[in-house]
Amino acid sequence: MYDMDLLERTDTVNELLSRYGVKFGIYKNGAFKEQLFPFDAIPRVIGKEEFAYLEKGLKQRVVALNLFLKDIYSEKKIVKDKVIPEDFIFASSGYMAECDGVAPAKGIYSHISGIDLVQGKDRQWYVLEDNLRVPSGASYPMIARELCRRSSPITFANNKLEDNRNYAQLLRRTMDNVNVGGLTVVLTPGRYNAAYFEHSYLAEKTGARLVSSANLRVENDKLYYVTYDGRLEQVGAVYRRISDEYLDPINFYDGSLIGVPHLYDVFRKGNVALLNAPGNGIADDKGIYYFVPKMVRYYLDEEPILQNAPTYLPFYPEDMQYVLANFDNLVLKDVAEAGGYGVVFGNKMTKEQKAEFIELLQQEPRRFIAQEVIDFLDIDILEEGKLVPRKADLRAFVLMADEPLVWKSGLTRFSRNPDSFIVNSSQGGGFKDTWVLSR
Amino acid sequence: MGKLRFEYWMEIAYSEPVTECHYTFKCLPRDTETQRIEELNIEITPPHEHQQGEDSFGNLMIYDNLYCEHDRFGFWMYGVARTGLAEGEPVGADEFVGRYRYPYGLNRAGDGIRAYFAANAPDAGSPRERAVYLMHRLHRDFRYEKGVTNISTTAEQAWRMGCGVCQDYAHILIALCHLAGIPARYVTGMMAGEGYSHAWVEILADGVWYGLDPTNDCPAGEHYIKIGIGRDAEDCLINKGMVTGGGVQTQNVVVRVEEAER
Repeated sequence: MYDMDLLERTDTVNELLSRYGVKFGIYKNGAFKEQLFPFDAIPRVIGKEEFAYLEKGLKQRVVALNLFLKDIYSEKKIVKDKVIPEDFIFASSGYMAECDGVAPAKGIYSHISGIDLVQGKDRQWYVLEDNLRVPSGASYPMIARELCRRSSPITFANNKLEDNRNYAQLLRRTMDNVNVGGLTVVLTPGRYNAAYFEHSYLAEKTGARLVSSANLRVENDKLYYVTYDGRLEQVGAVYRRISDEYLDPINFYDGSLIGVPHLYDVFRKGNVALLNAPGNGIADDKGIYYFVPKMVRYYLDEEPILQNAPTYLPFYPEDMQYVLANFDNLVLKDVAEAGGYGVVFGNKMTKEQKAEFIELLQQEPRRFIAQEVIDFLDIDILEEGKLVPRKADLRAFVLMADEPLVWKSGLTRFSRNPDSFIVNSSQGGGFKDTWVLSR
Repeated sequence: MGKLRFEYWMEIAYSEPVTECHYTFKCLPRDTETQRIEELNIEITPPHEHQQGEDSFGNLMIYDNLYCEHDRFGFWMYGVARTGLAEGEPVGADEFVGRYRYPYGLNRAGDGIRAYFAANAPDAGSPRERAVYLMHRLHRDFRYEKGVTNISTTAEQAWRMGCGVCQDYAHILIALCHLAGIPARYVTGMMAGEGYSHAWVEILADGVWYGLDPTNDCPAGEHYIKIGIGRDAEDCLINKGMVTGGGVQTQNVVVRVEEAER
């Protein structure tokens, strides 16, 4: 059933990954720990037609999310028309008033979107989360594919699948589309960032310069790259891998040492493109997630192709009633948390915890969403020579260039703990390549 | 109606040369319904051509990056303003008041402010009357004292200490207004006779923003020149900067506002 040649080379591929420095850093209890991101050689395989369906749905969703961001930071029609209650915008920590009235090039806010999906036992795909700020992960299946091809050429001769090594071209096209004139750079916080491997890999593959804030300076409302001999070259597009609050110590968090002073002023004047635009946190807020299907209808006048996991907003009294009545069957998420934190399962709480949680829920109903626990379709991983089923999700990458582009691959992450439903690299899981069949 | 001559002067002296400096000033008063700026001059040392812009709150900005060595930085603004031209500022057609309706940053209430509000909430009156009532209460129950709080003190922290400066009065009043369901925002500016910049609050009632000064327990009328607005003090800091080098810094600020001849 599986391609044994590739499976037998799992260790070789993992050794190569470690030699190439494919690592994932995590902060735990205040300390930075870098660990290898374990690779499992059994790919997730998605058929051609099934992926065509996902592709269509992903494009639709990301187009709608971009229209939402543009609307929220200008006219806010969706609020005026009462499709989304004002509370979910203005009381959200993702809404940045500093971005109001600031228009990014070509009206694109989320150039690179990571949409997390899961497949249920009924084979139905559900979107679990949209990541529109600085989604990471594309480099892992890129390099894994490369190394697998090298270790087991026969596997790729026998299987007809879409080549995923074109991600760099798609990304370059996305950056060039909004470049206002000048260099394209990848801005990294540096060596100790969790995704540093990815920053350097993507810069190399796209032909962009990998820079840190020390290489950049602002003069006369323009952004410049300072060359080794002190010359200034104008920068037209920044693929920044730094979160909004650290981007510019003058305009945002003033303790940031990894940002560029006045970078946001240059952006505000339209003299540089930032990928992704600041302020996107309002669209991937867990509370806003509930409204994404409504956005598709509102902005595109289309029925959403992709489904959300069934979600309830305790903010609405009828949803609160449902949540209280079905507490043990639901998973509750704090809208302000990310990376698998702030997620609790109703049936895993003690009586006291439950009472305490419900009190908090009633005090701050806007802070939480509740979701049905999806019965995941497990996928096999190889553990000590045996096949064992594990929970897994799929992060699909959607790029917004002159048109929306869906990468025909994706990052499949699995939980190594058989009892865990939380699949997130920050919680120490592994990953797989995602194959999209070409026929 | 008033006519005020104003001056804002700031100087930072460094014990060692600064090699790089980044700054933003949001200190320029602008024409509104309540005031008209008749004369405005700016001088910056070391002299250079600076950038100008406007932030998302409508505040005017002067900013730049200096890569020349200097051991003194000076900013001087002076001019003449007509004030008290109207009682308040009508909400603009494209203005979103939603962002001034919810707790944010330094204006967030905690248990202390919530308990105080519960015991002192006005039970009747128009939004404006209720906001004025809350201002009177706050003025009675909070004490003015310098040096206890700092620029990053939250409304709740200041409330628990029981004393603070104009910034703290403003943050607490905003928190109280939010609890009363009244949109409220932070205002920076200058006041006749003050030796430093000032801060107060604007509350929204019937489509008009009215200025209230909880530090002095009065409406912010013709003796006030408005500069910036924001959700809290950090949105409209009058000056923000960072330098490389510099050693020990000594900062002096002088604000002078006096009645001009009519």
